[in-house]
Amino acid sequence: MADHLVVEHLTKVYKRGDVLALDDISFSVKKGEFLVLIGLSGSGKSTLLRCINRLIEPTAGKVYFDGIDVTAASSKDLRHLRRRMAMIFQQFNLVKRSSVLTNVLSGRLGYVNPWLSAAHQFPHPEIKMAMANLERVGIPEQAYKRADELSGGQQQRVGIARALMQAPELLMADEPVSALDPATSHSVMRYLELMNREDGVTVIASLHFLSLARRYGTRILALKDGKIVYEGLPSEIDEARFKKIYGEEAEQVEVH
Amino acid sequence: MKDRYYAGFMQEKPRWMRSLADLRGRLFVFITDAIALIYLWTMVSYCWNTFVFHTKSFVTLPWWVMLLVVIEAAALWENFGVSIGMKLLGLRLTSADGSAPSLGNRALRYLTWHFSGLPLVGVMAAKDGQAWHDRLSGLRVVGAKDVETERYPWYRRSWSIALLVLLIVTLVAAMLVTRVDFVKFFTGAPKTGRIWRAFLSPEWSLLGDGIRLLIVTIFMAFMATLFGVLIAVPLSFLAARNLTQGLLGRTVYTIVRGAMSITRSIEPIIWAIIFVVWVRVGAFPGVLALFVHSVADLTKLYSERLESIDPGPVEAIRATGANRVQVIIYGIIPQIINPYLSFTLYRWDINVRMATIIGIVGGGGIGQRLYQYTKLWRWSEAGLLMLLIMLVVWAMDYTSSRLRARLG
Repeated sequence: MADHLVVEHLTKVYKRGDVLALDDISFSVKKGEFLVLIGLSGSGKSTLLRCINRLIEPTAGKVYFDGIDVTAASSKDLRHLRRRMAMIFQQFNLVKRSSVLTNVLSGRLGYVNPWLSAAHQFPHPEIKMAMANLERVGIPEQAYKRADELSGGQQQRVGIARALMQAPELLMADEPVSALDPATSHSVMRYLELMNREDGVTVIASLHFLSLARRYGTRILALKDGKIVYEGLPSEIDEARFKKIYGEEAEQVEVH
Repeated sequence: MKDRYYAGFMQEKPRWMRSLADLRGRLFVFITDAIALIYLWTMVSYCWNTFVFHTKSFVTLPWWVMLLVVIEAAALWENFGVSIGMKLLGLRLTSADGSAPSLGNRALRYLTWHFSGLPLVGVMAAKDGQAWHDRLSGLRVVGAKDVETERYPWYRRSWSIALLVLLIVTLVAAMLVTRVDFVKFFTGAPKTGRIWRAFLSPEWSLLGDGIRLLIVTIFMAFMATLFGVLIAVPLSFLAARNLTQGLLGRTVYTIVRGAMSITRSIEPIIWAIIFVVWVRVGAFPGVLALFVHSVADLTKLYSERLESIDPGPVEAIRATGANRVQVIIYGIIPQIINPYLSFTLYRWDINVRMATIIGIVGGGGIGQRLYQYTKLWRWSEAGLLMLLIMLVVWAMDYTSSRLRARLG
């Protein structure tokens, strides 16, 4: 299978504080993989994901998505590339005051007529699609509520529905379950698994818990201080490798 | 990369520079004490001149005499007590073993300070944060937390005595400067009786005219607010720090912010005077004055709200492939719409109140007529207009606060 995403020598230096967040990162992801990023807070996971769709502008290096150079794309091409790679977030990043339906529909903004969308007008098929996606994540009855009236787990499901609206080929999940309790975490992770297995969406998810990474990942990439310190199968992470990634004092915490 | 940066950063400065930087707190202490003493000196001399010589003058002695006295006084203060500056920075004087310094050591430090601290050479040659005069006198300047401070009552601490004296002297000097006269205040009161009586019997025949003027005034405020909002909303996006990045963005931000703060610092009444010259007397210059001030005020309020939006949703909308306009409409506007409406109502409320004042300089509306009546000493007519103004201001205040409470 062809490489779906190729990252070459990606480097990010934050000018403020002169922090080296990503240090010459190279890896590739095959179509249909479920890649899990692990590492401590501040190891560069979030920055890496945001450099792939250029929410953060990388300092150096290349990102190729489906053979297209993302880092060299014009702003219009970049918008078209972003449509194909959806993203979900640790803090869900819903517009709290807007309705759930509007939040889901906003996932479609890259596709619809910009003039109509500016007037909050979406074509009928898009609205049907939004309802279908809300149904898919199990909360169709919440469509007309304000987003901040929902529980954390429900809000993340709205985030997933918004991502589904993009009909993405790649899904990037930035700590999608860190703000949720263990039971809710699994139900959210299962939606990602479903997208991966049934729709063939390539998934890159950063996760805090190694147990979740082992359960859902097909491959693991571990970051430490902006460098890749481990790359391999989830089952291969033993005690020694764990200490190398998380430091000597770390203990494994299980999420069941 | 970052290791190299910090390594390079640490080594290059010469020792005297580092010593100065280490001891800059002490410099701050001395300057603070000197400023406090100069202030005390001028205020006391003003009071003295007023009472003894009956002249209004702050400075009588030559400046170098004052400077000399202040420098010596500050040095004495810092060596024999705890000065205001030392209190502010939390610095204390102790002997090497941590006990309270003896009078002899304090005197020695005071004397040696003149050729070490005053010309700064001893400070530049400081070792371990202690200057020449510290080491010669066997004393150390340390943080207040490291010292077992003697628990003097407040009236025996030099810094609190100084603060009290500063407060009293300021009060006396301020009363002299502003010519407060309690006798006049009470003996003059009966003269206003006529005005109060007239206010209580307003001239009702003027009611129709008054209401007409009131409508003009409310419309003035409405026009100023409406056009103010139309200009301020787009400007606020250019004046929000989080939305103006890059060199061009920063330049625009600085220009807009600067222009707005200058405009805002000029009161509407001054703007009204300018516009009365510009477009002649009437309601129109009043509208323009309120408009200009509203734009500046609303731009500031709006942009500060914009600066505190949650960046998360904006990021999420960008990630879907939305364009710039869509990001604003779906990611930003839902977050700011209610605060914007709330600020607008608040500003309209202010504009109605301002519109009644602005007439005084020829800005039209009810204020202009009110001013004319007071000039003619026709207090009954003035009383009616004031009654109407009170009603409108109260009504505006009430409705706008109710509406704003609902907007949350």
